[in-house]
Amino acid sequence: MPVVKVLTDGIGEVDLTDIAIYRQRDGYRQWERAVRELQSSEVLDIAERSGLRGRGGAGFPTGKKWSFLPAGDKPRYLVCNCDEAEPGTFKDHMLLERAPHLVLEGILLGTYGIGSHHAFIYIRGEFKRGYEIFSRALEAARAAGFVGKNLFGTGYDLEVTIHRGAGAYICGEETALLNSLEGKRGEPRLKPPFPAIAGLYGMPTVVNNVETLAYLVPILRNGPEWFAAVGTERSKGYKIISISGHVRKPGNYEVPLGTTVRELIEIAGGLREGRTLRAVQPGGGSSACIFEEHLDLPYDYENMAKAGSMLGSGAFVVFDDTTDFVKCAFNLVRFFAHESCGQCTPCREGGHWLETVLHRFVEGRGLASDLAMMRRVSSTITGLNLCALGDSIEPFLKSVLQRFPEQFEARVLREVASA
Amino acid sequence: MSSAPATSDLVSLTIDGVPLQVRKGTLLVEATKMVKQEIPVYCYHTKLGPAGLCRVCLVEVEGTPKLQIGCNTPVAEGMVVRTRGENVEKGRAMVLELLLVNHPLDCPICDKGGECDLQDYAIAYGRGSSDLADPKTSKPKAVDLGPTIVLDEERCVVCQRCVRFDDLIVGERQLVLKDRGHRNMIATATGDPYRHNFTGNVTELCPVGALTSKTYRFKSRPWDLRRTETSCTQCSVGCRMNIDLRHGNVLRTMSVEGDDAVSDWWLCDRGRYNIGYIDSPERIKQPLLRRDGTFVQIGWDDAFALWAKAIRSAIDAGGPERVAAIGGGRLTNEEAYLLARTMRSLGVKNLDWRAGRQRQATPGSSGGTLLDLERAGAIVTIGESPAELAPVMDLRVRKAVRHGARLIRVAAQEAPPSMPFQDVADVAAAAAAIPANVTRVALIWDGVDNALAHAAFAALSREGRTLLTYIAGEQGNARGAEAMGMLPFAGPGYHVADAGHDFDGICDAALSGKIETLAIFGANPVLNSADGAHVRAALQAIPFLVVTELFMTETAKLASLVLPAAGAFEKSGSMVNLAGDVLPTSAALAPPDGVLGDFEIVVGLARALEIELPDSDEIERATIAAAAALPVGIAFGDERFAGAAKKDLSGEGLRLHVLHHAFAGGGTLAHDERIAALQPEPTAAFAAADADRLGIRAGDRIDLVGAGGTIGDLLAERRDTLAPGNVAFVGLRSGSAANEIAVGSRVRVENIRHSDVPVEA
Repeated sequence: MPVVKVLTDGIGEVDLTDIAIYRQRDGYRQWERAVRELQSSEVLDIAERSGLRGRGGAGFPTGKKWSFLPAGDKPRYLVCNCDEAEPGTFKDHMLLERAPHLVLEGILLGTYGIGSHHAFIYIRGEFKRGYEIFSRALEAARAAGFVGKNLFGTGYDLEVTIHRGAGAYICGEETALLNSLEGKRGEPRLKPPFPAIAGLYGMPTVVNNVETLAYLVPILRNGPEWFAAVGTERSKGYKIISISGHVRKPGNYEVPLGTTVRELIEIAGGLREGRTLRAVQPGGGSSACIFEEHLDLPYDYENMAKAGSMLGSGAFVVFDDTTDFVKCAFNLVRFFAHESCGQCTPCREGGHWLETVLHRFVEGRGLASDLAMMRRVSSTITGLNLCALGDSIEPFLKSVLQRFPEQFEARVLREVASA
Repeated sequence: MSSAPATSDLVSLTIDGVPLQVRKGTLLVEATKMVKQEIPVYCYHTKLGPAGLCRVCLVEVEGTPKLQIGCNTPVAEGMVVRTRGENVEKGRAMVLELLLVNHPLDCPICDKGGECDLQDYAIAYGRGSSDLADPKTSKPKAVDLGPTIVLDEERCVVCQRCVRFDDLIVGERQLVLKDRGHRNMIATATGDPYRHNFTGNVTELCPVGALTSKTYRFKSRPWDLRRTETSCTQCSVGCRMNIDLRHGNVLRTMSVEGDDAVSDWWLCDRGRYNIGYIDSPERIKQPLLRRDGTFVQIGWDDAFALWAKAIRSAIDAGGPERVAAIGGGRLTNEEAYLLARTMRSLGVKNLDWRAGRQRQATPGSSGGTLLDLERAGAIVTIGESPAELAPVMDLRVRKAVRHGARLIRVAAQEAPPSMPFQDVADVAAAAAAIPANVTRVALIWDGVDNALAHAAFAALSREGRTLLTYIAGEQGNARGAEAMGMLPFAGPGYHVADAGHDFDGICDAALSGKIETLAIFGANPVLNSADGAHVRAALQAIPFLVVTELFMTETAKLASLVLPAAGAFEKSGSMVNLAGDVLPTSAALAPPDGVLGDFEIVVGLARALEIELPDSDEIERATIAAAAALPVGIAFGDERFAGAAKKDLSGEGLRLHVLHHAFAGGGTLAHDERIAALQPEPTAAFAAADADRLGIRAGDRIDLVGAGGTIGDLLAERRDTLAPGNVAFVGLRSGSAANEIAVGSRVRVENIRHSDVPVEA
């Protein structure tokens, strides 16, 4: 089994929320080394050479993202996105609660890497326990001299501000997050300008996921080559996969990218006795399903895209032959319609319309004409939206409509259908 | 547009096969207009910029896999754009279908029907049918958003133009989008009524029938309206304005798209909504002669004959010094010119337009344009700010502040504006507050205190700095009246003339029995002057007072002869706005039977006096020349315009100030019931220290008592911007005795009645 312990090292074994224990395990050593010995540009260079890509969903190369910040005297900010809310994803939640110092050290390294003096962490409103744990960790780190003024006597200052969200999925979208952080309505901004140019309070800003930033710690410790040596050609390193659904041991598993889909199911204990696999949603609620024929594909950014889906945030949901895909589709579309900020037309109206129609299917009152309408509307709105939320409505629905049409047809009112 | 842009600023691209060059940074939605193609838009608006919300402006850009939104895609070198084609049409049709999914399709009873962008685009780009098989979402209808606007949530397409207007243009941020997803709704942030001086603009910005004016709801279909373009004469900005009539009734006024120079495409609510007076049954429709203490109706010929006789006998008995005329800012240039010319041909020199508090309207040769104003790096206001006197001009101030200008108010008494500002005590402090790197400073004055204006001009003048001056005063065509020669010391084009009395002098002369006859055109000094009691006494001392008016105003009631005059929309001519722009005014309808325009009234008088009048070509030439004349030699705060030394107003008590409000006053406001709710409640504002000393809480009711009388039952308010020792009264209206107490005199507070529920200051 390819399960590894990099970020997850020590979780479940020792109390990593205790700064003393974290420091015994080399904690904050990389932070001290970076501030004392490395230039900002060297940290950026290490991030770039490691091949680390964003672990929040889009998979954008981290070093490249940092390099988009324009040179200049303007204040610049790093924002850690801990608004984890993608259906099926629960890795950042774990890191926040079980390894808060690792998360903080990653934030500090990232902030230093972009030459900033102020980091923000935006924590999903429901993560109250994680917020409390992280707040204590930050105070402990501040007391230990890792956060604040004149760090390690070098004259370098760094402040970290914690901000709690209020439970909106859309605030995981980076520009909606920035609006929310500024105290505005949580809705995505029109791009361009991108956050690298005009982000938080109009200043150059990088928004990185919790897991992405946390990986900076082992990458600095072991060197970028160590990370880049693992994985596939363009998907380097390790990733925590949140495996859920019809498996015997759901949970977070850290693996090298490129582990096969079949291996991931086995890592999570395999299917229940006597069940057969129907589908896997490999990249969270926004991703299309893959099927038996994809079991031996390496689980990485490229292969998931090639299979018509995506790796996303690494939320891996397994469906066996007991699955009612009509209910699943309704559940997800209802989620997206409910979480739509309502700014732009296709997402606001399209999501709600599809939810209404799918609700009728769940109740067994579908119309034959609805099937074509759902395909037409869901596919046409994709690509027309202001942000990615509206584009997330189609993939799962389309893939199950195509693969399991009989489940939908069984819910069509016969008398109406023949009329 | 004076010079062609440098080639390096231009980008070449192709739109629908047509090659064109446009400035770098131009958005596709604007570039497309140049090749006479249309990109449909809901949320985009030229004055609001892109928002990317409605997604209907889809275009295809070669080399880009997804459809792009034309509203937020700038042109790029070599770009190939298609505004039509299968992909674009499919995407647009989808967006339109979705917009209609929960739309009530109540077009037959919707005010917007016939001029609705949702109707038009649905027909032009929509599918024509829908697969919708479920009930539509129901949302609140006929929501009373405030005194002017009704909201229909079901019709709303959530383009947020109204929300963005309130934020980006007005800076009030009252309107917000509430709730989320398909449940979202337009509302005020606080739940309070939507109310400021520009609310009506949202009804024009709204691309559908979601936001409608209370005054126009269910009144007409757009195709039944007959439109006349004119200039608004309610204040001295002179916004371009469309007047829409149905069956001879003025139903609404609309802004003029493309009017960048004057209105910037907006109207204030006063200009937009104060139109109900036109068909008020209280209009005077026949000349009225005072006989034995009451007015009796007489014919026009008799009226002119009596008036001419009064003038002739006055001149015969004591010379033309015994005759005087006031031609207020309600007159067109042509009317003011003809009045001044007729009077001067009789030797009459007692001519003035100033019968209120404003002393000067021409800002001198340093006068700036409205476009200059929005490019100023610092704006200094002295006297009252233009917020209530010239509301649409204040939007330029807000625009400048939004672009980084510093707003500095000298000794301000009005409430703080909804944007960053700095209050300073005097002009020296204002000069010190201007950042050193600012090269363009705008100085705005209310035209009242000439010495203050003169001092401010001197204090702010600096080498290497452009100082632009503006006078935002009380009356619409005040600057035109000045240019046409309605001044005691200057004829048309500001040419110096033999000096007569100004209005104050006329009053003083009247009180000593030296004025036999005075004609007041378009002014109500009894209500609007600084000392109403004094003016009333003076006018009562004049044996033959003639007033031309629409209504029986406080001034008209004192007249010997009242002549029914046409209103602004009933006569054509021209005006000069505060920035010196000469603007045409066009009659949209005829005056009621029996009513004459002031021009015809002067003609009638001249004929009765057997004075030869110039022909219309000569009048046109002369007014154009006078309006275009440069105010050379006139200083900002010119002492020739200054009034006589103020009466000694010292004494015990608080000093009374009367502040303007766009919806406070008599005349047209007093006779427009539909907008009664917009009139401010008569209010007295106190400095916190005075309020504490007197035991006044916000929300209390009080009386102000002065030498001339009492202003009763005022709502008390606390205002931090007021200096202790002052009390500011807002809410002048017909019938109130506000100016029976002279502005600037001392008052005491009596009869304090505490409210049960204190109102937050």
